[in-house]
Amino acid sequence: MKIFASDIDDLALGAVFLATGGGGDPYLPTLITRQTLAETGGVTLIDPSALKDDDFIVPVGGVGAPTVSLELLPSIDEASKVLDAYERLMGRSITAVASFEIGGGNSLIPLMAAAVRGIPVVDGDGMGRAFPEAQMMSYAIAGVRPTPALAMDYAGNTAIFETSDTSTYEYHIRAYAAAAGGMVTVAEHPMSGTQIRRSVIPNTVSFSLALGRLLREERGPIDDLLAPLKDLFADSVYGSVHKVFSGKVSGKRTRTVGGYDIGSLSLEDVNDPNRICSITIKNEYLVAMIDQQPLVMVPDLIVIVDSETSTPINAERLHYGQRVAVLAVGAPAFYQSEAAVIATEPRCFGIDLDYVPLEQLIPY
Amino acid sequence: MRIGLDVGGTHTDAVLMDGNAVVARTKTTTSEDVASGIETALSVVLEEQDPKAVSLLTIGTTQFTNAVIERKHLSRVAVVRACLPAGRGLKPRADWPADLASVTDGGNYVIHGGHLYDGRTLADLDEREIEQVIEALRGSAPDSVVISTAFSPMQQDYEDALAARFSAALPQVHVCTSHYMGGLGLIERENAAILNASLLNFAQRVVTALVRSSQHFGLVCPVYVSQNDGTLIDLNKVSAFPALTFASGPTNSIRGAWALTGLSDAIVIDVGGTTSDIGVLKNGFPRQSNLVIDVGGVRTNFRMPDVLAMGLGGGSLIGGDGDQCGPQSVARELKNKAVCFGGDVLTLTDVAVSQGRMEIARATINDPAPQAVCDRVDALVVERLSAAVDLMKPGGATLPVILVGGGAPLIPGEKLAGCPVIRPINADVANAIGASIAQVSGEAEGLFVVGAQTRDEALKALTVEAERLAVVAGADPKSVVPINIEEVDIPYMATETTRIRVTVVGDLAQKEPPSR
Repeated sequence: MKIFASDIDDLALGAVFLATGGGGDPYLPTLITRQTLAETGGVTLIDPSALKDDDFIVPVGGVGAPTVSLELLPSIDEASKVLDAYERLMGRSITAVASFEIGGGNSLIPLMAAAVRGIPVVDGDGMGRAFPEAQMMSYAIAGVRPTPALAMDYAGNTAIFETSDTSTYEYHIRAYAAAAGGMVTVAEHPMSGTQIRRSVIPNTVSFSLALGRLLREERGPIDDLLAPLKDLFADSVYGSVHKVFSGKVSGKRTRTVGGYDIGSLSLEDVNDPNRICSITIKNEYLVAMIDQQPLVMVPDLIVIVDSETSTPINAERLHYGQRVAVLAVGAPAFYQSEAAVIATEPRCFGIDLDYVPLEQLIPY
Repeated sequence: MRIGLDVGGTHTDAVLMDGNAVVARTKTTTSEDVASGIETALSVVLEEQDPKAVSLLTIGTTQFTNAVIERKHLSRVAVVRACLPAGRGLKPRADWPADLASVTDGGNYVIHGGHLYDGRTLADLDEREIEQVIEALRGSAPDSVVISTAFSPMQQDYEDALAARFSAALPQVHVCTSHYMGGLGLIERENAAILNASLLNFAQRVVTALVRSSQHFGLVCPVYVSQNDGTLIDLNKVSAFPALTFASGPTNSIRGAWALTGLSDAIVIDVGGTTSDIGVLKNGFPRQSNLVIDVGGVRTNFRMPDVLAMGLGGGSLIGGDGDQCGPQSVARELKNKAVCFGGDVLTLTDVAVSQGRMEIARATINDPAPQAVCDRVDALVVERLSAAVDLMKPGGATLPVILVGGGAPLIPGEKLAGCPVIRPINADVANAIGASIAQVSGEAEGLFVVGAQTRDEALKALTVEAERLAVVAGADPKSVVPINIEEVDIPYMATETTRIRVTVVGDLAQKEPPSR
């Protein structure tokens, strides 16, 4: 399967849906990826199962504060230069690149790098959504080491990381990003074909494209779109999709603490103003509750869409009075495993709740 | 006395005001050349008046918005962006509509320079690069040059240094820096600056024509133009910042609703020929939108009123025996196509005529729509507007809904979404009345670093600066009051930092001529 410049808007729209409120504004990544694919004639998507055992796969993406990129603009050749430097470091050539996360701008950077280099992109990613921290990545949960890692800043300065564990790596790379202008492009979690097959959330890139296409072509009230969405998700790595609430944004408070957007959101039921759905935010939507009773919680996906157009809305774009629907999507099977739940459940975000899978919370 | 004028796409309205009272009013058609429509309107309201008794002429105009939308009267703008070595391969105007990029194209240049989020230098300016751009611009001779550098809203020195170099080297060219056009978001801020710069030559002509028209009628008063936030700017500022008038259409309707009712918190619906525009009055001013604003297909950071446009107006097509209304509209062809004028298209105007809410002088058919259809359409209109009012109104509050615009009688009933409907007199010229409100604003913005000073000290310093700017803009110092304080966290600073913006308004200081 090949991805062309004309697919990028759909892919980005699907990625905003899967970003569960985070991932940053995809505007600039969309712009430069579209331009790159137009110049290079597109990029090939490779299914993880088609990779050979000893292939060399390197995930690439941005680390830092997405809002910095509003002024410190990304460069078209940034990601491919990182791959060049990484090959020199490792002394071998890269077979394919992969994504950190399918949510937001990081779903597009690997496409750009691969297109320039003329190599394929793995159809899959390391989260199946967006999460705020590296140890929540499926690659890390499956035991892949993040290092050797190479980070490059806007000016081409590079730093190489070799750490004993993932949390030390996360701490160091954040510090480097802050020192290097706030945003760096990074190659990390190098893997063999064997390793990525057991650690990747498969087929999320092609799924994001199909999802974006559906949202565009069927654009309309969420109640009309729910059936086709259910059909699409039924044939994916994700669990089932449910509408768990519809209402109006009646309050939103977020503060930036320690490099994250932390806060909460309240939605008021259209028919019963006393029925309030509250959603906890740390970059992403984490837990949705009514009267202290959880409706859905991380690692399952919480997606907020405009109720009239079904367009997904990320947390920074939500505003007072908007009529929205809250959708819940079951996490991919990988994230239902014990190790994954321990790395991503509500407690990892300081929320005192035991993870209850979506299918047990949905009344039938 | 003062005159308020509103030049819209279809109508040019004027009112002569004595305090809050409307002394004379007119609604005329906007002419192709704009000026003759203005003069027709002025001749009506000044018919029995001594022009020397008029102390102020204020104008709201959509000419600049329309110039961008119609790609007319625009001049060529060169862009010099200093952000390298970041942003390699990303050109100014990258995702503009091709026609707009082409008519405004005076060259795109990307050079080294700019700052980082923490105040350090991104890259030094490169004298050789600057010389090369100047050389190229000497050859291509654009009408103006926009200069944008990374993080200029936080540090302006590179933009100022470049502006000084380009002004000195190219004295015949307007040089504009992007930090005057607002906050963070280089692309959006630069786009806003390009649109503004592309209008500078046209702005000069518009200002000259306005002065000529006012002199033609013997007006000796100052002339002001209304800007996006609903306050006034003088003609010098319009010449330099015509883009500040982009939203004056919806703004003046909302401000007019405030002037007509005295209600400072309300929902305002401006009902026109094709759309109903729903906005919110907060403290007497339009509530601002937080979204990225699209002007003529370009992303900008302009601050504009939060307006929801619905396809519901006098020309809206009625279909399916009354279970469809709009968004298709006969628009300007109402008088040829609507049933009440002898045509064969059933419109919302026909329903209002049949229901006895609207009387149209030149209508030939008195009862153009069957009763059953009318009742269904009325129910549908109320249902759709109620949903829109619900969406716009803050929280569970019950706010009055003020109907303005020529199409206000199209809307039936006394309640929308549980809120009482208010229909003020002269609602059809609300926009001209809105333009006549003689207030000016001042705005100051700064970064507040927790620990370096208290929040109160920071606020006080900014308020003093905003007040000073309002007085410079013409405000009577005694009347200046703060109307808005906006605080936004800067997410990636090492120490907790907030950007604070203080806006104040005051009445325009003016000496009323002695009454006779």
